[in-house]
Amino acid sequence: MSQIAIEARNLVKMFGNITALNGLSFTVTQGEIFGLIGPNGAGKTTTLRILATLIKPSSGYAKIFGYDVEKNPSEVRRIISYLPEEAGAYKNLSGYEYLEFMANFYNQNTQEGKAAVEEAAKISGLGERLKDRVKTYSKGMARRLLLARALMMKPKLAILDEPTSGLDVVHAFHVRRIIQEYAKTHGVTVLLSSHNMLEVEFLCSQVALVNEGKVVGQGSPHELKSHYGVDNLEAVFMEATKLG
Amino acid sequence: MVKGLSNLINKEIKELLRDPKIMVGMVLMPLITFPLMGAAMNISTSTMQESMRQVSVMLMNLDKGPLAESLLLMLQNMNVTIIETSSSTVEEALVALSQSNITTLVVIPQGFSQNLTLGLKGKIEIYSVFESLSLAEGIRSSAVEVPINLYKNALVTQAIRQAFPDRDPLTVLDPISVSNVAVVKGKIVNVSSDVLRSLFMSQSLGFPMVIMLLLISATQIAATSISIEKEEKTLETLLTVPISRLGILTGKLAGSVVVAAAGAIASMIGVDYYIGSINAMVPTQNVSLEDLGLSITPLSYCLLGVMIFVTIVSALALAIIVAAFSENVRSAQSLVTPINFIFIFPSLILMFADIQMLPYPVQIVLYAIPYTHSIIASKAAFLGDYFTMLVSIAYVSAFTIVTLYIAARIFTTEKIVTARISLRRLKLRKT
Repeated sequence: MSQIAIEARNLVKMFGNITALNGLSFTVTQGEIFGLIGPNGAGKTTTLRILATLIKPSSGYAKIFGYDVEKNPSEVRRIISYLPEEAGAYKNLSGYEYLEFMANFYNQNTQEGKAAVEEAAKISGLGERLKDRVKTYSKGMARRLLLARALMMKPKLAILDEPTSGLDVVHAFHVRRIIQEYAKTHGVTVLLSSHNMLEVEFLCSQVALVNEGKVVGQGSPHELKSHYGVDNLEAVFMEATKLG
Repeated sequence: MVKGLSNLINKEIKELLRDPKIMVGMVLMPLITFPLMGAAMNISTSTMQESMRQVSVMLMNLDKGPLAESLLLMLQNMNVTIIETSSSTVEEALVALSQSNITTLVVIPQGFSQNLTLGLKGKIEIYSVFESLSLAEGIRSSAVEVPINLYKNALVTQAIRQAFPDRDPLTVLDPISVSNVAVVKGKIVNVSSDVLRSLFMSQSLGFPMVIMLLLISATQIAATSISIEKEEKTLETLLTVPISRLGILTGKLAGSVVVAAAGAIASMIGVDYYIGSINAMVPTQNVSLEDLGLSITPLSYCLLGVMIFVTIVSALALAIIVAAFSENVRSAQSLVTPINFIFIFPSLILMFADIQMLPYPVQIVLYAIPYTHSIIASKAAFLGDYFTMLVSIAYVSAFTIVTLYIAARIFTTEKIVTARISLRRLKLRKT
């Protein structure tokens, strides 16, 4: 029986008078690539930030592999990796130095660290350019470096916020392929958010539709399309949120 | 934890030192600017000294009497080059002067010798041409007055000798001798008060200035190290890796201390060269603080070290608190600038005044600012006043603990991610 990777229950998050999450709940099973889809301001990034231990829910709870994100943030940080939407890398470090710096937080010995950096070099496909400073990278190259960083430690859960945001077709294709292959090969659970319905349909085995801080529908892309009697996730989303 | 911390400190130092703004602004600028300033001062001073050594004057001697001749002899003996002009009027002589590279015209009018012989006032006219309005030009114009004053003294001495043949002319001229004795730490010191004053001045100027520079650069570095993480969107990733938030805060503080220390050392090397250049211009009496019993004891050194350390840590924590609310490097530096006033205010006041001489309200304000105590402690170190040093350390340490606590609170809550003060929004609110 598969283990529960993420359990989010009735998450509420208030920023002053603004309700970002309004009782959001969903469950992710180990090994899944799970997609959160929804419009801007739906609460996707807030959910991911709570799961990544950056912010705390106002009420409700979230557990990652049994660890409560609020009560056991240190344990959670050991088993996750988080890629924020607009993440950057340290511009004055080389790609290698950046990967080494990040790997050193997870590995107790140099050998493990080196292996992780080599793995990241492979994932990123940046080759010799890893010796150059990050400030010389294009947006696509930087995103590939960051994704490699997020996956190199073979985390139990990778939380990826808009992994292909702002990338051209070629780089976006490369990034999607990496995520898919990595999850399959290493059994890494992936939770990602995206605006791109095609991307979600291509990558995710399970999808949650988020609108106004709540999950308004959940299932596999196929199940959702059948349920709403439409032929793509975009139409599913419009039906589910009654925006159409 | 230790590995994570050293990893973070290494990265901080690497990143900060590779940042051209910090490398150039904090390390290279002081290393280049101060010696350049010193070299410029040296060049202008040596030019000035050279111009004083080679004084040339144009002379219009309308008197030709014996006393005018003896005055000329005295000028020549004091290395003044005299070029006699054949002009008959001052206007003509000034035209001749403007065509030469000489800037001073000395006119000895007719009747100079006769007047002096008769006991009347002799008259000399000195015309100085000012073209560049430089300091050297002003000094050069007054250089010719020195031998003339000596000549005047010689005339007075001669007159006194004739009037009072049995008395020493110098005693008649200066009948009261004033002996200025300095007492330091209860001991009579055989050095004039003027020399001591300038020595204390250089000591009391030096430390507050270094502390001020150090704190300003350290806060800028600390603020940059946090805000650059926000600007480059690296902070969120860093906050999700397995290292405690306090570990991240400590790493940031330690990295900033190391870079600030590099900046401080660069500043001190630069300032030392600059001060050395200035000292080289002024002949000083060979007096050191050790000679006066004002040397710093090993214990004072240790206490001073502790003082500097807690001062820097508190300033860094303060900068980190402020930078936590910034959106980017520019807004962080703007937000940190007001903090600089609390370093500059006590430093400037205490460079020139003793705190107890100031009005009570100013004293209260100054005592409330922790950085005042850093300067007070530095002065107490020279006097071996351990009690004052310990009180100052206690006050600054208490302030440091409070600022560190607040910084830690911000780092351990989501405020470090969500807090934002938008300068644009503030400006809009004002309008």
